[in-house]
Amino acid sequence: MGTISLEHSDRLYWLGRYTERFFTTLKALGDLYDKMIESKQWYKQYLENFGLADTYADSKLFMRSFIFDKSNPNSASFSLERAYDNGIVLREEISTVSLSYLQMAKDTLFKAEQSNNIRMSLLPLEDMLYSFWGSINEHIFDDEIRNIIYIGKTLERLDMYVRLKYPYDSVKKEFVRLRKNLDRVPQGTPYRYNAKYMSVLTEMLVSESDYEQNSVMATEALEHLFERSEVLV
Amino acid sequence: MVQLKQGQFMQAVGNANEINELLRRYGVKFGIYKNGVFNEQFFPFDPIPRVISAEDFASIEKGLVQRVNALNEFLFDIYHEKNIVRDNIVPEDFIYISKGYLAECEGITPKNKIYSHISGIDLVQAKDGEWYILEDNLRIPSGASYPLIARELTRIAAPQAFEENNVVDNRGYAELLKETMENANCGGVRAILTPGRYNAAYFEHSYLAELTGSVLVQNDELFVEDNVLYHRTYSGGKTRIGVLYRRIADEYLDPLTFLPGSLIGIPNLMEAYRSGNVGIINAPGNGVADDKGIYYFVPKMIKYYLGEEPILKNAPTYLPFYDEDMKYVMDNLESLVIKDVAEAGGYGVVFGSDLTKEKLEEFRKTIIAEPRRFIAQEVIDFLDLPILDNGEKVMRKADLRAFVLSGEQTKVWASGLTRFSRNPDSFVVNSSQGGGFKDTWVLSR
Repeated sequence: MGTISLEHSDRLYWLGRYTERFFTTLKALGDLYDKMIESKQWYKQYLENFGLADTYADSKLFMRSFIFDKSNPNSASFSLERAYDNGIVLREEISTVSLSYLQMAKDTLFKAEQSNNIRMSLLPLEDMLYSFWGSINEHIFDDEIRNIIYIGKTLERLDMYVRLKYPYDSVKKEFVRLRKNLDRVPQGTPYRYNAKYMSVLTEMLVSESDYEQNSVMATEALEHLFERSEVLV
Repeated sequence: MVQLKQGQFMQAVGNANEINELLRRYGVKFGIYKNGVFNEQFFPFDPIPRVISAEDFASIEKGLVQRVNALNEFLFDIYHEKNIVRDNIVPEDFIYISKGYLAECEGITPKNKIYSHISGIDLVQAKDGEWYILEDNLRIPSGASYPLIARELTRIAAPQAFEENNVVDNRGYAELLKETMENANCGGVRAILTPGRYNAAYFEHSYLAELTGSVLVQNDELFVEDNVLYHRTYSGGKTRIGVLYRRIADEYLDPLTFLPGSLIGIPNLMEAYRSGNVGIINAPGNGVADDKGIYYFVPKMIKYYLGEEPILKNAPTYLPFYDEDMKYVMDNLESLVIKDVAEAGGYGVVFGSDLTKEKLEEFRKTIIAEPRRFIAQEVIDFLDLPILDNGEKVMRKADLRAFVLSGEQTKVWASGLTRFSRNPDSFVVNSSQGGGFKDTWVLSR
């Protein structure tokens, strides 16, 4: 088709972000489930990573809210709904098949809420999300369109990994991925990065100790990465 | 009704849940506003198809091509010479009072003289097998996407049904639509204009855009410059639109020509259209030809423009506008169905038999006071079709929306949307009023 509006580019970007936020949230909560077998208190650490107050009576209520509560903006369910909201207006770009994986994920999440073994019933979601990304690769012919979704995806993953204090090597790998995607952005489009914030980000991730000391600055730099300035690259 | 071979027929029936699951998976939905709240619903699909024999379809096809060709001639005539009015075939009252007549379209000739590129013609089959036209929809008829995707999914869920019956493949609709759009293209990309996600038919807009490789756009992505329509791109550039399949009503299309308060229109679109720089599907102003009052005159149009006898019959219709018809309507009100010509979507339809004596008298007065506002029709005892209701086969009223596409040639899509009422006592089949849909199988022999 070769013509993308600003509105659609925005939707593509947020589709990438929310789909990834859903995926990484689920994986992080899955890891947390595992850790909580030994100690229920681990969930407090999760809240702390995101700067959130502990308003939960116990770990079970925390888990229910962070997986299923659509009104909790930090929940997996909330992110999936937003991903779907963006996807549904992009059917002709991403294909009905790609969209169907998000619909299936919604249905699976809905059913999982009634399950006796929540973690087990969430497992198929991982397959659906991998299928979604496979379908995106398969069905989107226009590299520019695909790249916008991937910028959203990689930026979100980097942001989540930093907040969740993932190991330096994983974070660095995601940073390289993001740079590769950003370097493909054509002139004059909204996803040219702001050079100032990119250099802050680069400096924060030079070494493991830089990363450990400056993760807050890194997430701030990500927040402003597409801010207009005189030096856009 | 044509009988299918029982084995595969039951297979399709047995797989109803699977098919509905698949429809759900692919997001086959429609939106409804109830009490001001938007709800997205899955469109209930019944797996027992309506089956049309090859002979029946051949006759319906001829009749529909004839009808749509005559309607296109009528639209050209009305917006130019108005010979049909001069020759006293259609009274001018029915043209100028019609809400669908747009003086702003006077003198405009769309590319290839085609006004109704996509016509949705509603038919019913009476118990004696005769097909009747119920109404013509020449503005933005919707619904083709539902049997299209249902067929795709039914072929997965019940393949033997198609192995053992010679069903014409309906999946060429997108190609047909693409050809039709290209025929109206004035140079540029194809676009489908949607009012947005919260429109009842949004699934259809996005699905057809996907299948035809068209750009799905909303008004704020478009602008007119030097009488040319453009799509504003995210890099600050512009792409010319050559044909716009708009899914918004005429009055909202261009705030500088029609409703000034329209927030979903494109300023100056009509100038671009008038200049021949963009094709609009369907042409603005078509409402004058699918007005319920004009319906009465379509058989006369066929004779007038084509010199042919109509192949398909109208449901017997009376216009209270004519004294003789008014008398008949007054004498038989309790057995007729009365339709408000300004309404659509199953609204404004009153069955005389449903009214109390007082209401009947009240209604009688309204018709006398506003004879142009109503048409009256005999209630056709149309064929009930079987549907599955909680696993039980029950009979319900159903109609058929046939899609006729006018490009280089006028072609009838060998399928259609069969809508049925889920309420046993109702003739109203519209999805907005709780109806469901079936696929329509046309047999090849």
